[in-house]
Amino acid sequence: MEKDEAFMAEVLNRTASRQLTWNTEVLNCATEKLGNHFLNPNWDNSMDQSDPFESALSSMVSSPAASKVPVSGENVMMRELIGKLGNICNSGDASCYSTPLNSPPRFDLSMVNLLNHSTLVPFSADPGFAERATRFSCFSTGGDSGCFNGPLMDSFKLSCNQSINVNGSQNNKNSAMAGNSDSDKKNSGVSRSSSPENAESGVSKEESSVSQQIPSQNDAGTRKRKSIPRGKAKEIPSPAAADAKVASENDESNSKRSKREGAPSGNGNAKASNDGNQKQSKENSKPPEPPKDYIHVRARRGEATDSHSLAERVRREKISERMKFLQDLVPGCNKVTGKAVMLDEIINYVQSLQRQVEFLSMKLATVNPRMDVNMEALLSKDMFQSRGVLQHGIYPMDSSPAFPCGYHPQQGLLPLNNGIPNTTETQFSMKTQGFKLPSIDGFIDAHPQVGSMWEDDIQSIVQMGFGQNQPQSYQGSISTGQVKIEL
Amino acid sequence: MDLHNLNPSSLKSRFTTRFLRALTEINARKPIASSSSPREIFQRYRRIKDAADTSMAYSVRSRRTWSKATLWRLRTPSHRRRLASFGRRSSLNKTRTTTTASHRGAVVVQITSRGGGLGVQLEELRELVPGGEAMDLCNLLDETAHYIKCLTTQVQVMRTIANLYSLE
Repeated sequence: MEKDEAFMAEVLNRTASRQLTWNTEVLNCATEKLGNHFLNPNWDNSMDQSDPFESALSSMVSSPAASKVPVSGENVMMRELIGKLGNICNSGDASCYSTPLNSPPRFDLSMVNLLNHSTLVPFSADPGFAERATRFSCFSTGGDSGCFNGPLMDSFKLSCNQSINVNGSQNNKNSAMAGNSDSDKKNSGVSRSSSPENAESGVSKEESSVSQQIPSQNDAGTRKRKSIPRGKAKEIPSPAAADAKVASENDESNSKRSKREGAPSGNGNAKASNDGNQKQSKENSKPPEPPKDYIHVRARRGEATDSHSLAERVRREKISERMKFLQDLVPGCNKVTGKAVMLDEIINYVQSLQRQVEFLSMKLATVNPRMDVNMEALLSKDMFQSRGVLQHGIYPMDSSPAFPCGYHPQQGLLPLNNGIPNTTETQFSMKTQGFKLPSIDGFIDAHPQVGSMWEDDIQSIVQMGFGQNQPQSYQGSISTGQVKIEL
Repeated sequence: MDLHNLNPSSLKSRFTTRFLRALTEINARKPIASSSSPREIFQRYRRIKDAADTSMAYSVRSRRTWSKATLWRLRTPSHRRRLASFGRRSSLNKTRTTTTASHRGAVVVQITSRGGGLGVQLEELRELVPGGEAMDLCNLLDETAHYIKCLTTQVQVMRTIANLYSLE
């Protein structure tokens, strides 16, 4: 017994002495909080009894806090003990945390755990702890602060019992007996009455059982602890439920789903708040009619039915559709696959087009313009590019506006006459030649008003002239202005 | 105005008429003399280029973001543009900032964080397409397609005109 006690005390001392730095900081905070919240408001009634305890507690807490050597193995064990304690506290679930949280001003979950940590360490470290612990429990029950009643008090009791059992000595026995005698009047704690029995029965068993229980329970405790904040974070009711439901329902979900859950969770919550119900219905039952103005999307087989993934799929399809359209526009992109290369090609093409525009405008700036040529050739170009040549307005040459236009078409047609022995062509050229002289002056005078009028008339003339010889005159008019027709 | 062979309301015809009008106006203002200094030629070139872009943007009638951006760029003087860009910058997506240079074509876009290897190319594309800074990929591709179509038309018409001009 003594050996056991000594061993346990030594182990715990070692763990206590080799706290991690964060633990020590925590303990420091804990001691402060202890001093502020725990000790003062609750133990005011019984100051005389609390004083030694308080001093002892602070001393106990400070002693492990003083040493700041990190530990590996023993710390785990200590953490396990603490974890078990925390688990015990957790067993009361919300109420466990609510009670300590209510009365003192600000108690976080972490603080409670830390308190557990902090309280456990000094409790277990001190061989005379049990006595004080009993007194502590008495204080709580006597003080009736409300904070210590309930599960937390039970946890403390259990921790007392544990440490009592762990220490397991005559001292404990004695103290337990003493405590029992004291508490029997005030406390109806079953655990307390059983403590001496435990102490007597066997410390080693307790140790082993404790050590065994702790690893499994610690995980559960940590798991539970982790789940609580997550649950609190996801307390937005329906969308979060929808997400969880979807997550649970997705049997055939992709691996991407988990990522998407994590990543757009913020988005999902925000989005879901707007259309959560509707999307929820879409997800859960896969109905073919999503409400109102939503795009009808069906989840494909083997795909996630998450609202996020559906929207993403729609978006991706839109983008790929547009990329295909661009592929048709940009020449030479049929063989290219992949977005990156495709985008490169598009960028190159747009850059080349812009450069061409600049080059051509520079060219236009340097070239001396002859408006008539401009008009006529332009329209002829337009005509060439049109598939069906209309042959109406065949002989508008007689009208005066045609005169000025006749001059340059005639010029342009001269090589045509040479090139193409076509009767109609020659006719045309003859006619235009007839208007040669008077047209020049009229032409120049009419210069500023040329604009749109010319286009019509020139166009009609040219049409007439070239109409019959569409395929051949194509070449001819190219020779006129050496117009390169890009179709 | 009636162009028989062409669809009267086609993009090409609209652009052609407008551009020719602008061109005649420019040429009327300052006829090209054989002894023009390079500076004069450069000025002409700028004016013609602006005329071409404006006429093309007008032909699209502000239905498209890029046409709106082009018109805005050509209309507002550079100092006002820079001021406006500050306001625009704040309304933009938080992942992008823009600074407009005085040069017409240079809109420098700095994208702070874009996922994937497409980031660089997207940024380039946004640079190229006027008004493409504040658009997501989907709309940007739409705009790019329309912009390419209009650019090809523009190039065609201008090339024809230039060829005709150079025949004399």
